[in-house]
Amino acid sequence: MLREFVEKKHYLFAEEAADWEEAVAMSCRSLEADGTVDAGYAGEIIACVRKYGPYIVIMPNIAMPHSQEGAAGVRKTAVAFMKLEKPVSFDPADPEKDARLFFTLASCDPEQHLNNMKRLSEILMNEELVAELDQAVCPEDLLRLQEKYLD
Amino acid sequence: MLNILVCCANGAGTSLMMKMTTEKATKALGIEVGRLHHSSLSEGKNTATEYDVVFCPLNFISMFKDAEAKGVRVIGLKNVMSQTEIEEKLKAAGLAE
Repeated sequence: MLREFVEKKHYLFAEEAADWEEAVAMSCRSLEADGTVDAGYAGEIIACVRKYGPYIVIMPNIAMPHSQEGAAGVRKTAVAFMKLEKPVSFDPADPEKDARLFFTLASCDPEQHLNNMKRLSEILMNEELVAELDQAVCPEDLLRLQEKYLD
Repeated sequence: MLNILVCCANGAGTSLMMKMTTEKATKALGIEVGRLHHSSLSEGKNTATEYDVVFCPLNFISMFKDAEAKGVRVIGLKNVMSQTEIEEKLKAAGLAE
């Protein structure tokens, strides 16, 4: 999956985001660039988080922005990666909801999506890999980690 | 035999992750699982009473007060990717050795 991020150009390395809304919008950009999602998708995710709270921070340091399966404005099924140098806060009262690593989901094909989620859970359940991803600074790092942990 | 519902806001991302973590945790604990279903909160609120256990992110547990009153074990998770957390909470709930 890390190789796929690089091959499909579904990744972004950035310094920081002004707030979590901007971070979510930034994390969708690589998906917008190749038409995987329409420009409105980021707004839909932001609306979901405003409604339900920062549940997209699924574990400390890791956000998984998504709305619902078959959401409006989703054309293809994919996952995009984003790393911020400076963590962004989703809940000022809870520092465990700060995130630097983003895995943004787009889904319109349930089977493909399930496969993506299986591969993503393999990554997220590997503590060493997550720790190394947190130090990644360029696409070459993603390829290296793919070879080291996933191939 | 345990029937388990895993629930998140939309039923598309977080709940799928929880489902995979739950599969690993129950297998490690040797718990026999009947149904393991993932759904959105809106669906889950209506069907929760059909299950023995509901897992959801911590901030959603208040949505399942009715089910809890009817005897369903509602368990909030801090880290939906943590097999250890699910195992510990199943043990604390007396659902595993």
